[in-house]
Amino acid sequence: MADGRSPFADLKPTVGAAEAPGPRILAVGELTRLVRETIQRAAPLRDVWVEGEVGQVSISSAGHCYFTLKDERSQLRCVIFRDERLMMPFEARTGLRLVAHGRLDIFEPQGAYQLYVDSIQPSGRGDLALQFEALKAKLAAEGLFESARKRPLPPVPLTIGLVTSLSGAVLHDMRRVLTRRWPLAQVVVSACQVQGQSAAPTIVAALRRIGRWTDPRTGRGVDVVILARGGGSLEDLWPFNDEQVVRAVAAHPCPIVVGVGHETDVTLAEFAADVRAATPSVAAELVVPSRTDATLRLRGLADRLAATGTRALAERRQVLTNERRALEGFRPAALLAAERERAGLLLDRATRVMHGIVAADRLVLERAAERLPMLLAGTVASARTAFARQSAALGALSPYATLERGYSIVRGADGTVLRDARRASVGDLLSIRLQRGELDARVDKVRDSSA
Amino acid sequence: MTDQATQASRATDSSTAAQATDQRLEALPFDRALAELQSVVTRLEAGNLPLEESIALYEQGVRLHERCARLLGQAELRVQRLVESAGGQLRALDLSLGEAEEG
Repeated sequence: MADGRSPFADLKPTVGAAEAPGPRILAVGELTRLVRETIQRAAPLRDVWVEGEVGQVSISSAGHCYFTLKDERSQLRCVIFRDERLMMPFEARTGLRLVAHGRLDIFEPQGAYQLYVDSIQPSGRGDLALQFEALKAKLAAEGLFESARKRPLPPVPLTIGLVTSLSGAVLHDMRRVLTRRWPLAQVVVSACQVQGQSAAPTIVAALRRIGRWTDPRTGRGVDVVILARGGGSLEDLWPFNDEQVVRAVAAHPCPIVVGVGHETDVTLAEFAADVRAATPSVAAELVVPSRTDATLRLRGLADRLAATGTRALAERRQVLTNERRALEGFRPAALLAAERERAGLLLDRATRVMHGIVAADRLVLERAAERLPMLLAGTVASARTAFARQSAALGALSPYATLERGYSIVRGADGTVLRDARRASVGDLLSIRLQRGELDARVDKVRDSSA
Repeated sequence: MTDQATQASRATDSSTAAQATDQRLEALPFDRALAELQSVVTRLEAGNLPLEESIALYEQGVRLHERCARLLGQAELRVQRLVESAGGQLRALDLSLGEAEEG
């Protein structure tokens, strides 16, 4: 305010001079500094808790939050600097009642006193918030929240334990999710209260019940547990911050998922859980696989199974062809043409059968996507019929069929079929396969007919 | 004739064996049935199996597939409520939707 001082500058050249007794005239800046120093020296003002309703709020481009805190009688200007603001659990919003902590100071350029806030809590919950922090620190120190303690969830649970209230939408919602996603599961509800002073002990008891229950039919307990509650006020959710509840969650014999409130709500029970779910419905989603995925995977396996059947048939067909070739080796030249014709007919027939089956299998594969289970059963039936026909055809082509007509098969000691007398020596042991039975014989003499 | 006799007895053997297998399959939970089906398919794909064995394995695969497909297709979520008697005995009783909502 230099211009305010200039008219009197010549009259009072030295402000606060020794020859001018009486009240000392201060510059505004000096007074402001004086007030500021006084405030700064007052210990109670360096560590202030104050409660009120949030009035106007504005966020500066630098990210600092300016707001007023008011009650019926006064207003207080407050500042939350950006760094502190980003660490806070919630934002100051107009109309919100809250308890702010900070130091009082003067912003000299504006001569305004204001509270430099370093933490805020919802109003009326100051005690709860302090309790929450204290218990959280204590249990964390015991290692209850450590990630090394977390157990994996079973990929496909047979039985799911739900610990929640029988009334309300939560059970209904979770039931709907499980019905849609994985109706193969069995759900066992262990009921508890989820609100009010007496809720915590009922939650602990319900967790214990579900932990010790076993299905009398299978002798097995639940594979996974969900502890759930719908949204509510901080007080409503408070039982899930109860020390005994948190301990019961941490010590539960089954892997446990906790889904309490909405996404933004955080309770200590969730920290102690093996898996934290944002909401009860998310918890239900998390514990089961998806039926759609399982159906797709099953379909893939069915396709591969059908393909192995088709391939097995193709291999048998190859065997059939090989048998024919081997057979030709046994036949005297005179009969060969006739036999070949007969064999050819049989082979053609068998081949037609095979082609039919391969074609049928192809059809099966094409339709597999629609009606796999039924068609697969059909494939097996037709494959079995085909194998039966095939072995009949093989029987007709078998070298043993010629034995009926008086031919014999002579094998050497090593089991190889003898075609040339020169391959045998006097004294060799031979086995002669007749139509009925076999003879063991010894070579008496070797005559080389071609000689 | 003796062949027929052995075949017949083999047939009864395999049918009782199949019955036992069916019973075992009926009790098989989905994940186990799917895992078995997976291993059957893998073994069949590897090949090198005698005909009889591969047919038996194929049939087993089909039964496993049927089991899985039935479980997936017909399953209905079963919801029970745990009730504790005075003696501390726990029983699971079926819970109807209405009951839950009235709660």
